[in-house]
Amino acid sequence: METTISPQLQEATESLINNLLASEAFVRYQNARAQFNADQEAHDLMDQLSKSQARLRQKQSSGGVGQAEIDSLRLLQQRVQRNPVIMAYAQSQDEAVSFLREVNGEISQLLGINFATFANHATC
Amino acid sequence: MDDKVFDDIEIAPPSVVLSAARDFAAALVETPQYRAFEQTAERFRQDQTAQQAMEAYRQKQMDLRHLLMLNALSAEQTAELESLQNAFANQPIVQEYSKAQTELVTLCQALEDTLSESIGLNYAAACGVSCCG
Repeated sequence: METTISPQLQEATESLINNLLASEAFVRYQNARAQFNADQEAHDLMDQLSKSQARLRQKQSSGGVGQAEIDSLRLLQQRVQRNPVIMAYAQSQDEAVSFLREVNGEISQLLGINFATFANHATC
Repeated sequence: MDDKVFDDIEIAPPSVVLSAARDFAAALVETPQYRAFEQTAERFRQDQTAQQAMEAYRQKQMDLRHLLMLNALSAEQTAELESLQNAFANQPIVQEYSKAQTELVTLCQALEDTLSESIGLNYAAACGVSCCG
């Protein structure tokens, strides 16, 4: 459905976006994300972890997980946790999310409804 | 992270960002969608027939909750529950409220799309909202 947004609301939305992007939490997040995106090793590591977790889940459902696969996953998890680029990215994302929740609280308090709940696209 | 990165950037203090959030909420409150939602919500609260129909449906749901969880309602119980649900949903004010809510949700979703795309985070997901409440 096409929704028309008034110029006043458009302006307020842009102002909120600009201010959010200029907040310390989001500047840190954007920088950490840029560093992560530019780091091939960090990308490869996350890709390996994701594939390893998917393989393990698949084998768990068929009941055939071996100790070697569990050890391999643990090793990958340890490598991820030791990678400073990945950890800085994860930590900065946590901080940005915390700040965003505070912002949503402020908006919701004024509206009398939870803005994020109303704006949620997901359905069960 | 290297804090030198902040030297060349003008950081918006939290108070300024929160003020922008309040301005955003104030602009949203002025929209026809929000006003219609507030008005119908108030009329719904004042409508005794609709409130009684809602209470009757809720009470029946509560009475049958254990059977509902087990998906073990008899045909008669299912029919009774559906009848109460329809009696509630067919109230004119409930339909108006539902329409107003849908229109406000559509607007909020459009705004959330813009916010999420611009900040690089899924706003609703980041705020801990799941599809199940």
